[in-house]
Amino acid sequence: MSFHHLDQYATVSSPVTRATPTARVLAATAIAVGTAALPLGAWEHLGILAGLVVLVAAAAHVPASLILRRLAGPFVFVLAASTGLLFLVPGTPLIHVGPFGISDAGLQRFGFVLGRASVALTAAVILVSTTSFPELVQALRQLRLPGAVTTALGLGYRLLYLLVDELERLQRAARSRNAGGGTTRRRRLLVGITAAGLARAFSRGERTHRAMLARGFVGDLPSLAPKSWDLGTALTLAVLIVVVIAITLSAHVRS
Amino acid sequence: MAHIPDGFLSAPVMAGTAAASVAGLAVAVHRSRRHLAEREAPVLGAATAFVFAAQMLNFPLGAGTSAHLLGGVLVGTMLGPWAAMLVLFAVVLVQALLFQDGGIGALGANTLNMAILGVGGGMLVYRWILWLAGVGFRRRVAAAALAGAGSTVIVGVAVAVELALSDTVPLAPALVAVGGGHALMGIGEGVITGAVLAMVLRARPELVASVPSPSAWARALAYAGTTGAVTLAIGAAYLASSKPDALEAAAARLGIHEIETAYLAAPFADYTAPLGGALMAAVIGVVAVFTVAWVIGRAVARRRLGA
Repeated sequence: MSFHHLDQYATVSSPVTRATPTARVLAATAIAVGTAALPLGAWEHLGILAGLVVLVAAAAHVPASLILRRLAGPFVFVLAASTGLLFLVPGTPLIHVGPFGISDAGLQRFGFVLGRASVALTAAVILVSTTSFPELVQALRQLRLPGAVTTALGLGYRLLYLLVDELERLQRAARSRNAGGGTTRRRRLLVGITAAGLARAFSRGERTHRAMLARGFVGDLPSLAPKSWDLGTALTLAVLIVVVIAITLSAHVRS
Repeated sequence: MAHIPDGFLSAPVMAGTAAASVAGLAVAVHRSRRHLAEREAPVLGAATAFVFAAQMLNFPLGAGTSAHLLGGVLVGTMLGPWAAMLVLFAVVLVQALLFQDGGIGALGANTLNMAILGVGGGMLVYRWILWLAGVGFRRRVAAAALAGAGSTVIVGVAVAVELALSDTVPLAPALVAVGGGHALMGIGEGVITGAVLAMVLRARPELVASVPSPSAWARALAYAGTTGAVTLAIGAAYLASSKPDALEAAAARLGIHEIETAYLAAPFADYTAPLGGALMAAVIGVVAVFTVAWVIGRAVARRRLGA
């Protein structure tokens, strides 16, 4: 198992990938938070932010097909979550579906929440499409996230492939011995596999950590080609953040 | 809907939950370092990888449904609550950044719900039950199962409250839809947590964080707390029985009246027991819920022991 297919556009040279990962994380966070903070009904402002996201995607040379493909999974989830709003928000009923009514307010909120979620999601998709996981961890460390958490992320990422392979091996071994027929037996088998996975995760973790200590690990994963801040990146980021704040604030002032 | 996507929360709620999460995580970082010392890095990394991998396993629950482990309480029983909070935060963070499961803007809320309140609340239930009942094998398994279920319900209620505070959905229907959904998920989470803990306790007991036998004071405190909670629950149930409950309020708002018919099948329709009316109904209700939870917990523990 590997996530390498997720990182294929992280190596494409573009104005976005040349910027330090920290700047990319900050930019994506600014756009996502700015979009999510728009007041209900601020459609024009949402449109402007959507335009901004499209511009960033174009600058990052990430093809639209890739963005749409990676959006599909989370979008289905967001769609399901916002469908609840159709029925749960009180207002003048427009359409009746069985015992439930869809109100005008519900329909509006559904549309706007879905729009906000899609724009914020796209910003996050552009971030992960242009940034590899080690770069992401490096950015989080620069952003002063607790060392315990960034180390857990780095080691966890390293161990995850091993662990998932291990769990698959355990399941394959059980299947090849015809174990786990029927729901109850299968459940018991999965409990065993989960417990075994837990024990193996801890012993693997200890072993990996000892090996890393032997190779001079002092709590910081060094990067081969650390990208640093430059004036252009800092200025672009500053302009982007100011623009997003201005758009969001103006939406609040108008509403 | 455990992971809130971006777009569902208002700016003040996003800011407030983020601030609360930062404060909670700061305490967790401090306490976890003291608890785990130099074991911290490998243990947190392993637990993070485990939670991710375990969430990929789907447990069949029967009737064509399946559930996956959320893992907060299970990891908590291994590493203690503070380290488990950091692990769940790492998981929530990766889910938001890498898989867009939960929004970046809603990260504060999701961290608060799953890492701080979910793990913290669940572990409080775990410790509380152990304080009440003592720390035997069965009791620990039953406590973990109940804590797993409780933690999932806490997450659901927190999500509903945040959605309501954001003015996205009114509180009553949000509680019914999100809280109710999580209550169902909680059953699966409780069973899986208890079962896996039982197996780990048998195979590798050194992995499970030891819980000291409760002191007389801790026991007294737990009993006092439980008495207070039961009294409160009876009071609340008594009050609720004279007002329309969340489901009825939601139904009334949605303009549904047919839902009343569902109560015909209930033994005490609209909570009027034959003896002593509403108060008696409230007492019976609380005792019944408590008994059912206790029986399920014991049954899970015994089955795992006999398996």
